[in-house]
Amino acid sequence: MKRVISGNKAVAYGVMLSQVRVVSAYPITPQTTIVEELSRFCAEGEMEAKFIKVESEHSAMASIIASCLTGSRSFTATSSQGLALMHEMLHWAAGGRLPLVMVNVNRALGPGWNIWTEQGDSLSQRDTGWIQLYCEDNQEVLDTIIQAFKIAETVYLPVMVVLDAFFLSHTSEVVEIPHREEVDQFLPPFEPKYPLNPRNPQAYFGMCSPDYYMEFRYKMQRAMEETVGVAKSVDEEFGHQFGRAYGLVEPYRCEDAEVVMVTSGTVTSTSRVVIDRLWEDGIKVGLLKVKMFRPFPMEDIKRVLKGVEKVGVIDRNISFGHGGIFAQEIRSTFCNENGRPTVFGFIMGLGGRDVTPEAIEEAIHVTLDNARPKEEILWIGLKG
Amino acid sequence: MAGKIIFKGESDLPLFPISSGDMCWNRTGTWRYIRPKYEDKTPPCNAACPAGVDIPVFIGLVVEGKYEEAWNIIREENPLPGVCGRVCFHPCESLCNRAHYDEVLAINALERFVADRALDLESRVPIREARKERVAIVGSGPSGLSCAYHVARMGYQVTVFEALPQPGGILRMGIPSYRLPKDILDKEIADIQAYGVEIKTNARLGGDLSFGDLEEYEAVFLATGAHISRKLNTPGEDLEGAVSGLDLLRDINLGKKVRIGGRVAVIGGGNTAVDVARAVLRLGGNPIILYRRSRDEMPAFDEEVSGTLEEGIEIRYLTGPTEIIGQKGRVTKLECTEMELGEEDETGRRRPVPIPDSHFTIPVDAVIAAIGEEPDLTFLPEGIRVEGKIVSTDNGARTSRKGIFAGGDMAHLYRTVAHAIGFGKRAAISIDCSIRKKNVDSLLQGIRVGEDGALSIAKYLSEVARRRADHVVAFEELNVAYFEHGERNERTKLAVPERVRDFREISAGLTEQGALKEASRCFSCGLCNECENCYVFCPDLSVIIDSGAVKYRINYDYCKGCGICIAECPRNALSVEKEAR
Repeated sequence: MKRVISGNKAVAYGVMLSQVRVVSAYPITPQTTIVEELSRFCAEGEMEAKFIKVESEHSAMASIIASCLTGSRSFTATSSQGLALMHEMLHWAAGGRLPLVMVNVNRALGPGWNIWTEQGDSLSQRDTGWIQLYCEDNQEVLDTIIQAFKIAETVYLPVMVVLDAFFLSHTSEVVEIPHREEVDQFLPPFEPKYPLNPRNPQAYFGMCSPDYYMEFRYKMQRAMEETVGVAKSVDEEFGHQFGRAYGLVEPYRCEDAEVVMVTSGTVTSTSRVVIDRLWEDGIKVGLLKVKMFRPFPMEDIKRVLKGVEKVGVIDRNISFGHGGIFAQEIRSTFCNENGRPTVFGFIMGLGGRDVTPEAIEEAIHVTLDNARPKEEILWIGLKG
Repeated sequence: MAGKIIFKGESDLPLFPISSGDMCWNRTGTWRYIRPKYEDKTPPCNAACPAGVDIPVFIGLVVEGKYEEAWNIIREENPLPGVCGRVCFHPCESLCNRAHYDEVLAINALERFVADRALDLESRVPIREARKERVAIVGSGPSGLSCAYHVARMGYQVTVFEALPQPGGILRMGIPSYRLPKDILDKEIADIQAYGVEIKTNARLGGDLSFGDLEEYEAVFLATGAHISRKLNTPGEDLEGAVSGLDLLRDINLGKKVRIGGRVAVIGGGNTAVDVARAVLRLGGNPIILYRRSRDEMPAFDEEVSGTLEEGIEIRYLTGPTEIIGQKGRVTKLECTEMELGEEDETGRRRPVPIPDSHFTIPVDAVIAAIGEEPDLTFLPEGIRVEGKIVSTDNGARTSRKGIFAGGDMAHLYRTVAHAIGFGKRAAISIDCSIRKKNVDSLLQGIRVGEDGALSIAKYLSEVARRRADHVVAFEELNVAYFEHGERNERTKLAVPERVRDFREISAGLTEQGALKEASRCFSCGLCNECENCYVFCPDLSVIIDSGAVKYRINYDYCKGCGICIAECPRNALSVEKEAR
């Protein structure tokens, strides 16, 4: 069934189709309409799920950690300050190896108080042990939620599905909503490895001495490594069944490209338009969309960018004191490689400022026209 | 606890730290220093009810749609729910904790709803095994009927003697049918008769019936009420057109042709005065109430005073009659004096003091005195002590003569239907004790509702009946976070022009929908109604749900005494005690 829906509605449909049993969330702009839609689904019986009202995001995550332990497929959604408040619980979810799925609608953190898109909130949670998947459009949002549960329940790590505030969350697009039965076929019921059961009360997440703590961390890292392959095959299987696949990264017109721009989120869509036009003008520029940020799919990236002389990375985020976060990841990917590309790190569109075709074109020209970046951080569209 | 477990490498480890076996060995109950326990307490409405009705329990049954069971819960203590659901002054509502939240619960309306639902029902509360002893009851007002009912339920043979041609006492003769339709009263009297209670009418003690005739009974309960209207003690009281309020009401209720019309002065501020004035209005007269104090001191129920004013009846406050003036033996004028309020008297109300030289007269066609009633004690035999115009009785309703008990208006100054029902019940318990040679005095305290509420038959008849602590639950002890705000659902009333045409009932009962809504507003103060909050919140899974009388149980092997169950109980049905270690 095709419908014109917003990104937040696409999230809700993805959650409903995934047969989620427990939803707990605290509303925050721009995520609120997800919560509204899901609470409606729960209330009207469209979802056979409990909606747990909570007083904070910290509690929302704590609630679904517990419900997931009992074996109920569980979901939450948040944004910005809400995600920051959840931080402690994110470690518990990942360290507890719980296959939770959470949507984060990228929104800038205050102050200054800002509700518009920026990736700083989710990227700040880089080291919590959560898988992170960045979406480009509303269809991808819906499909990725369904995939995310399958990935999470295979590798026993939680997945954060990320979409841009307003550009996706509140913008309507045509979305194909799959049939419930088809999704059921793709995503079997969740069977937990260590179900919490009052009849056989076990102690969870107890004290762990230096004797074994490191081994548990090692197992998490191995699960992350395993995730790259798992996510790929889940995506392929999804593509086979539904006719849509996304890849962990997606190279666009990279063959014979002189330079390649690296993007994530909705900047990718704008970049596609710019690049198509530049090719018409004979300018050979390719695009690499990075969907998976954690685990960082280094081999897939290397395969695309190896041999490319110059790479421009557009970051809608900043790690203060260093620079754009995707740029750092690309640089470190090639750090031990011979013939590594020169990386131009652009910071653009912070706090929801438009990343226009002109701005992207400017970044492309800077990359094309210079042998090396003049500075480690190249700010585009900065006033005065 | 097992010894240290050695893992050879990461592949031996589970995904995250988790105990390898169950944790039942870890009896966390040993950490406890306070101990929660389920303890039902006394709801304020229940404690306030002079008839001892278990209000939250019957309301809980209404919520579940179990109207017949609700009816039986009321009738466990009070055989007249249809009467009380109409005429009770509902002190239960005055103490309802909901007052501190939004609006008090419409308990009286719910009682009537339950009784009206039961109009076609005949089910009965259980009756104890039959006994051969006979009990005589003199007077078929609320106190006599209540005593008769409870004594009959306890298995005795009961005969009620009523002086008038119809039973019901003040309920029939004093209360106009716009407040209490006769068919409702008839139905509830018939329900009482269904227990084998025999009612003999036209049997006046001191008339055809003598005390000697009662000697064959094991016990006698006197409940002849207070039906002698006090005199005004003003000149002219013997003129034609000067009548007593209760006499007038009795004549109306007996269906006699009553001639009253024109300007009618009703003297008094009690319920009788108000009833008389409204009855006169319905008979086509033009009543005015003259009361010597102000509205605040009026003993009539507030609702009745409001109803009177709604109907356009004038109440003239601070006015006292001084002389009834007549021509040719008929009342023509009433001379009055203006009053002011002086010092408080023994009743706590300010005493009315005449203002000198403030006399005035009003033209009237009739003067009706309704300034209070006193019992007729002229028939009492020797040896029954009377104190201050009432029969003197002890806590066991015993008069000074053995085997003779008394209650209701003739023995008490609490002159309400609910109190009369309570006194009748008290006498029934005392009569049972006296026949069975039990010491009533030693058990009275144990069968009260709360520390000083009415007596409970349920407690008297059953050792295990609804055990509750005496403590009356206060609003501050509730966790009102769990209650939604909601308006009180009230009964509708007939419009004034429609209601004053005749004696039709003014108030319509709650609709089923309204009753369900209203019943669900009840906090159920102090009484577990199995909301499951404790079960849901217990972090140690130590609240165990059993089937049976006490639904919940605490597993003290694991309860750490955190107290969350107590804090989250909306209605204070859990208590805490110090752990004895």
